[in-house]
Amino acid sequence: MTHEDDRALAEALIEARRAGRACALATIVSTRGSTPRKVGARMVVDPDRGLVGTVGGGCGEAEVIESARRVLQSGRPERVRVELTEDFTTWSPAVCGGVMDVFVERVDPADPAGG
Amino acid sequence: MTADRVGPAQAARLLLEVSTAGGTAACATLVGGPEGHEVGARIVRSRAADRSPATTRGSLGSAPLDAAAVEALDRLIADPRGRDGLHAVQPSDPASAATGAGEASGGTPFELYLEVRRPLRELVVVGAGHIAQPMAHLGALLGYRVTVLDDRPDFATRERFPDADRLVRADFGDPFADVPLHERSHLLLVTRGHKYDYECLVRALRTDPAPAYIGMIGSRRRVRATYVQLVEEGFEADALARIHAPVGLDIGAETPEEIAVAVAAELILLARGGSGVPLREVERVAERFFTPQDSDP
Repeated sequence: MTHEDDRALAEALIEARRAGRACALATIVSTRGSTPRKVGARMVVDPDRGLVGTVGGGCGEAEVIESARRVLQSGRPERVRVELTEDFTTWSPAVCGGVMDVFVERVDPADPAGG
Repeated sequence: MTADRVGPAQAARLLLEVSTAGGTAACATLVGGPEGHEVGARIVRSRAADRSPATTRGSLGSAPLDAAAVEALDRLIADPRGRDGLHAVQPSDPASAATGAGEASGGTPFELYLEVRRPLRELVVVGAGHIAQPMAHLGALLGYRVTVLDDRPDFATRERFPDADRLVRADFGDPFADVPLHERSHLLLVTRGHKYDYECLVRALRTDPAPAYIGMIGSRRRVRATYVQLVEEGFEADALARIHAPVGLDIGAETPEEIAVAVAAELILLARGGSGVPLREVERVAERFFTPQDSDP
């Protein structure tokens, strides 16, 4: 994550909090093999604004968004293992060859944002 | 150590604030472990630029686990090559045994996700000429805080450098008076004359702490002349070895834009530790495919 990514992410979280919305935060915590994004890549899933940042796009990201939906409802964090090991000839975007673990958690508007 | 709760938004903001102010901050998030622990809990260690003692915010829910996390975070902060990633804390570790979770869970380790934000990297472009423009642009794109410095105020202008963070008018006799250099400074010397490049180079080499990168534009002949003069002035081989000149990766760059790309590639290579060789040569996918004995298992 570059400094600008960090800034965009922090701003997205703070904006959602100001508006009183809960959103989900997804973080790649480990990877094995080739993955489009590496450890530390983050994405905010804001039900109103959509996505800020990316954990790699494509099918893998779709699984993470699905998890974010559950986490937003339940409030319970999840660890999602995303396999990007589909056969090349399926023409799926998930052919990078790697596996990544994504931590998905709810960010509540009551979460103190400091300052 | 404080027992206050630090949420994801607050942690993100803390890390951003500390690194923007020139300090280093690291955060541990509990992402897995024995039942009954608050997954998502965070603890943040911050060390300010002035090297005053590190401070702690937040908690993972138990004092021994916090102590283990702080120890890991301090190691990460101290290691300049330390990367973000998972860190396991065994409940049998002396530091975490006292949580009492070890027996109940049958030894499920705590899993912490550690991340660190170091002081913002700076790119200082000395000379506001035709290479400086694309360089400032690329530097900003790569996440550097960009400073452009020149003794001619009508060159270091906002119109010419829309995405530079700072535009500084400086005397090349004392170029870094208003731009303090540090371990995260990346310096590119591209003034309008090699006399100025040389003066700035000598200043940069004498700076303590040393900048992370000193690049200087110039042909082989000009670089050689610079080195001869440096040696005459008493600089040793180790000082010369710190200078990246001629500057950039060998990609056949000719135009100012191409040269800026070559320099940007060199900066990425130094930060990430690549080889600078085309990936095709490194991976040799086709050769491995057609030569079975050399293929991947």
